[in-house]
Amino acid sequence: MSGAPISPIRQPLVTGSKTYHQITEDLCGPTEKAPSKAWVIAFLISVAFLSLGIACILWTIWKGIGSWNLNRTIGWGWDITNFVWWIGIGHAGTLISAILLLFRQKWRTGVNRAAEAMTIFAVLCAALFPGIHVGRMWVVYFFFPYPNTRGPLWPNFNSPLLWDLFAISTYFTISLLFWYTGLVPDFATVRDRAKGFRRKLYNLLSFGWTGSAKHWQRWESLSLVLAGIATPLVLSVHTIVSFDFATSVIPGWHTTIFPPYFVAGAIFSGFAMVQTLMLITRKVLNLQDYITLEHIESMNKVILLTGTIVGVAYLTELFIAWYSGYVYEQFAFFNRAFGPYWWAYFGMMSCNLLIPQVFWWKKYRRSIVITFAMSIFVNIGMWFERFVIIATTLARDYLPSSWSWYVPTFVEVGIFLGTLGIFFTLYLIFTRVAPVVAIAEIKHILKSSGDQYASGHAEKHRTGQSLVVEDHHH
Amino acid sequence: MKNHKEEEIWIGGKDLGSDPEFLKTAGNEFTDTPLYETMGEATESESYKTDRRDFLKYLGFGLGAATVASCDIPVKKALPYVVKPDTIVPGIPNYYASSYVNGGDFCSVLVKTREGRPIKIEGNSLSSVSMGGTSARAQAYVLSLYDTNRFKGPIARDGEKGFAASTWDAIDAAVKSNLNGNSRIAIISNSILSPTTKKAIARFKSSFPNTKHVSYDPVSSSAMLLANEATFGSKVIPDYRFDKANVIVSFGADFLGTWISPIEYARQYAKNRVIKDVDNASMSKHVQIENGMSLTGSNADNRILVKPSQQGAAIAALCNLLGGSGSGPSLPKEIMDSLRVLADELKGARGKALVVSNSNNVSEQILVNKINDVLGSYGNTISFAHPSMQRQGIDSDMNDLIADMNAGRIDAVMVYGANPAYDFPGSSFADAFAKVDFKLSFAQSNDETTALCDYVAPDHHGLESWGDAEPKLGHCHLIQPTINPLFNTRQAQTSLLTWAGEKLDYYDYLKSNWTQNILGGGSWDKALHDGFHNSGASYSAGAFSANVGNALSNVSKPNSSDLEINFYETVHMGNGQFANNPWLMEMPDPVTRTSWGNILHVPVKFNGVRKFIGFNDLEDGDTVTLTVNGVAQTAVVVQQFGQMPGTVSLSLGYGREVGGKSAVGYGTNVNPWLTTDANGLTQYYATDVAVSGKTGEDDDFASVQYHHTMGVKDVNTAGEEVVADELATGTLVKGFEGSLTNRSIIRRTHIADVKEFVHHLHEERHHFEHLNEQTLYPYDEYKEDLYDQGHHWGMHVDLNACIGCGACTVACIAENNVPIVGKHEVHRHHEMTWLRIDRYFYGDADNPNTVYQPMMCQHCDNAPCENVCPVNATNHSSEGLNQMAYNRCVGTRYCANNCPYKVRRFNWLDYTTADLWPSNEPELTKSDELPFGADNLTRMVLNPDVTVRSRGVIEKCSFCTQRIQSGKLVAKKEGRRLEDRDVRTACQTACPTGAITFGDTNNKKGQLSKKLRSPLNYVVLEEVNTRSSVNYSAKLINKIEKLDA
Repeated sequence: MSGAPISPIRQPLVTGSKTYHQITEDLCGPTEKAPSKAWVIAFLISVAFLSLGIACILWTIWKGIGSWNLNRTIGWGWDITNFVWWIGIGHAGTLISAILLLFRQKWRTGVNRAAEAMTIFAVLCAALFPGIHVGRMWVVYFFFPYPNTRGPLWPNFNSPLLWDLFAISTYFTISLLFWYTGLVPDFATVRDRAKGFRRKLYNLLSFGWTGSAKHWQRWESLSLVLAGIATPLVLSVHTIVSFDFATSVIPGWHTTIFPPYFVAGAIFSGFAMVQTLMLITRKVLNLQDYITLEHIESMNKVILLTGTIVGVAYLTELFIAWYSGYVYEQFAFFNRAFGPYWWAYFGMMSCNLLIPQVFWWKKYRRSIVITFAMSIFVNIGMWFERFVIIATTLARDYLPSSWSWYVPTFVEVGIFLGTLGIFFTLYLIFTRVAPVVAIAEIKHILKSSGDQYASGHAEKHRTGQSLVVEDHHH
Repeated sequence: MKNHKEEEIWIGGKDLGSDPEFLKTAGNEFTDTPLYETMGEATESESYKTDRRDFLKYLGFGLGAATVASCDIPVKKALPYVVKPDTIVPGIPNYYASSYVNGGDFCSVLVKTREGRPIKIEGNSLSSVSMGGTSARAQAYVLSLYDTNRFKGPIARDGEKGFAASTWDAIDAAVKSNLNGNSRIAIISNSILSPTTKKAIARFKSSFPNTKHVSYDPVSSSAMLLANEATFGSKVIPDYRFDKANVIVSFGADFLGTWISPIEYARQYAKNRVIKDVDNASMSKHVQIENGMSLTGSNADNRILVKPSQQGAAIAALCNLLGGSGSGPSLPKEIMDSLRVLADELKGARGKALVVSNSNNVSEQILVNKINDVLGSYGNTISFAHPSMQRQGIDSDMNDLIADMNAGRIDAVMVYGANPAYDFPGSSFADAFAKVDFKLSFAQSNDETTALCDYVAPDHHGLESWGDAEPKLGHCHLIQPTINPLFNTRQAQTSLLTWAGEKLDYYDYLKSNWTQNILGGGSWDKALHDGFHNSGASYSAGAFSANVGNALSNVSKPNSSDLEINFYETVHMGNGQFANNPWLMEMPDPVTRTSWGNILHVPVKFNGVRKFIGFNDLEDGDTVTLTVNGVAQTAVVVQQFGQMPGTVSLSLGYGREVGGKSAVGYGTNVNPWLTTDANGLTQYYATDVAVSGKTGEDDDFASVQYHHTMGVKDVNTAGEEVVADELATGTLVKGFEGSLTNRSIIRRTHIADVKEFVHHLHEERHHFEHLNEQTLYPYDEYKEDLYDQGHHWGMHVDLNACIGCGACTVACIAENNVPIVGKHEVHRHHEMTWLRIDRYFYGDADNPNTVYQPMMCQHCDNAPCENVCPVNATNHSSEGLNQMAYNRCVGTRYCANNCPYKVRRFNWLDYTTADLWPSNEPELTKSDELPFGADNLTRMVLNPDVTVRSRGVIEKCSFCTQRIQSGKLVAKKEGRRLEDRDVRTACQTACPTGAITFGDTNNKKGQLSKKLRSPLNYVVLEEVNTRSSVNYSAKLINKIEKLDA
């Protein structure tokens, strides 16, 4: 087995000794078959949530923000919590597609497509909140620096909210381009197998891709360029989101640790959401050969790392609050941990810092059940983190006379459920119209990471298969 | 040409003929026969029938037209004057001197009118009684003019169906037919301050000789009147001078909030509480003896807690300690110890002491007079020269009247400005009233008494009337109309005079009375311009003489009951007279910080670990069954610091059953629980009280402040003294000490320590300054360029002068069109007040001291709100103002989050109906009615100089920018430098104690600059480097430490 293109310590990333044709069959299949019953049920549920969300959003617009339970002290609650949560979730996609591409991490190919799609859908959900949480959403165009007859009157370039607008719109645009670029050759594959209207549609979507060498070369270049642009975005977007808080004067917000802490948290939650989605997807679409335990384990390592970074940030915050000698800061952190919202803080601490420590054990990293449970814990924990930062901090700030308390109304909860509905509806549609795993990229790594090419693994895993492994030795 | 005359004009050939069909219809200009029938043979034709297609066409057109038409935004047209009245210049306000009178409540005011509409009340600084001060009630007076519940004209009972509209002629005829010279008539009123009204009543009496006038006060001071009659031979309330007293002792009298003449007293009191010279700091000592925390008690240096039933004994004990002879009922040792210390203090302040009491027991008031006599107060701090007329009612007169009514000895009752069916103690009035044949009310809007009457002859509102008031003997004030009557009402005095047979305009009647009896040769015009005339009338009382021994034995006896309750009047609601006024309903009680209803105050106790436990484990907003004298009602609870253990308190004035939408259904009516003593005088406490455990929760518990303390001390379970509230900030574990007290929000000290305090304060401020200099953008550099030239607006608030009365908060609402949001919204912390008065307790947890801190936008020069707004909707003016451009505001609320002072307010719903979507309106009142202040009548009160904010935008204090602008224009037109008097904010002018000073910090000669030099000044949260433009001066107390030992 010497001379194998895959390092003996690496696990294969494509199992089942797939041929190129099988890969095409496996990955294009879901777009060509009638949807399964499970898909239909999931879709109906998602659409129901989506409808609930739309109803709640319309209600909010119709009635005013007073249909939420925010108050004179707590100006942001579930709205911005959800916004930051969704933005954070988006980060895994970009990290996988951009940074892991630059670092030549081959295991990204199994999950990048879905993760990027998830990024786009999550950013869409996130972008909803800044739009609807304002008092007069019909004038949100004031945010944009467009030439006008009011002076001209420009937006306030000092405001982190404006930075947010640019950061998120750039992020969304780049993510969309990156995702779509990756989809072009796969759409061409789908097109080539399709007939009639579908063929025309995919022809349009694939921009007349013919698979010529020139196409591939340009495609590779564009991917790299976009990866180059997207890489700083992984760091900058959540940094800027954290500026919403860090540049304020509110104790508990005014913290220089926020940018790295937010970025780590974002990647942490993003990978958790990727895990949640991929564990279901690989099962439902029968993609275990493409999204292997190796992928899952890799992502769990990232979760362990970023979760621990986040945990260190939590502890650093506490230390700095104590060390600062600044009573407002000390109280803010004391209040987070032991004040009336202590349960949110402990939810955050346990879900984000303590529970992910199980991933030090390989057994648990490779356990589907543990991984799925963990991904849910992390998603909950990261939601709590944002809630703790936003609502708990605002509830008790400088003047005790103005301290308050906040519980969401049904409308606020409904909008959050609605964004889950939007997210899953879009994701489910995505699984039906595009290959969930990047066909071209899988084929690209097949000969380096396919199990039939990996030393020793083929025998270990695929002994009973009828497939004859040719091309064993180069 | 037959049947036709040549000169007649003819239109067509048919005119010339004589077709009978034609002649029949020729005279009808408008025919009522359908068009198609007049079209001859087509009558039955199919072409005029509507077929399906036509129907669809019409339907389509109709729907389309209706849709297009309804897309239009309704346009409200403002028409200019055709002939402009001389005195009205659009955009320029006119001010008229007048008076606010409500029963015994008095305030001399200037009424600001714009385009003929009264929109704001200002204090009249010329007046020798209110001296420019106002109260929350006076500020809210202008809203009551536009009360939607006012009667639109006279009404009369119409069988069982209730009232039906009537006419003045019908009312006059009814009076004539029902009353004659022999009729036994009673006129019921509250204290009447008006000499001319009294004259009119006397004139009425001359026509109806069997008339008697009975006056009572909703919160009675009868015992004082009777005690003064007994001791000085004069049934009056003397003139108190709190400014001349160095030691003030009050047995339950809320003289800063509600007692007799609070505006006047507050001004006097503050004079002696404000520190003028820190090096030789001096201030009066104020000891309040009470069980619940009253507004006055919260301002006191010391409070001695006695149960309501012990108050008489405490007065007796103090009297004895000061050299009275005799013995009173015994008291617990700790109270006696306190009283001994107090007696020593008083003895040391002979001639400069003042003792007052709200007791409605004649013997107790006699003893108070005795105490004052012993202390040499008469002639020094108390004078009879210009006695107060503000309380004249004797409760027992009403009891006599009720007996007369029950016995059928009264034929007719006229109720003028009173609501005895609600506010007269007990429930005996209504039954007796029902036995009277002819019942007439002069009420302006419906209330419990009016609802029982047969006729309503609605009086003008005070702002529509001529009138006068003599709150203190010789100090005569005028009332002049500032608007034509809005409705078909008639002044009550005119009604009385008309029925008496006089055909006089009340203005003439008033003027002739003044010319003859008051002006004494003085100018009517000057009196009208100034709003008052001091006639110089004075009074001299006899020397003190009383049977002290008898009084000592007749004081009320301490009760051994475990739980007692006292009923008190709040600064805003009185005894319910103001319940129709949403400004006052929504104004939080200064002490409890709750609004929209009265709340049962229960004592609170530190459990020694980390929690404050309410009486019976009750928490804020719990409902309980409160049983007093065997009668149970539901009440909502608040844990009240400073409430004496073994007592609870509940305020008067709520639980109205008949009234406007802001009156009915809020709170508990305590009046049926009130009892009278042996002399028939109302007692505002009860000893037979039971409070159940929690029975539920008030879903709309409206409190604007949930955290009440700033460092209250108590002992823990180990017996060590700890800062209890700091420990209680933790939910899961104990909080840490210093978490509240180390905040730079409230600065306070004892006057004895003021020098060290100033030293420490300056050190700390220096440290903050050092911290704030650690920046890339040093403030001093840009300040010089930006703010040292031209105007730079600033404010100074003297915490020692602020008594928390809330006049400024209502003035701010009136001036700035601040919306009223209703109980449910206040419950959700959606109140919109631009100016609030934060209240913190500190010191001993069981008997704390209080500090009030008016908190408004600090107009920071380094404002955190400004740099976070994404659209520049809030920005800084070159004059140091933090401005809001409502039109630009998108409503992200980022500014509100980032405001350390939490003064920014968001329009959560469409509180003003300034919006196109009306759907969110009913939520506010839980009914189909409009939000408060959104109807066209109430909107007349809006200040046209201030934008009405729509839903979804942030708003906040603007330092009354409209006043700054108009002040600048005045100075510019007169070609001079702007002076202090040109610009005064609404809160500043409303304040009875002068706690708020506004001005230009660059005007070094101005009043503000002078105040800014006080070494007691500090800036709230200075270390946050917001560069606030508001300075506060520290709160000092003159606590008698021995009293707490």
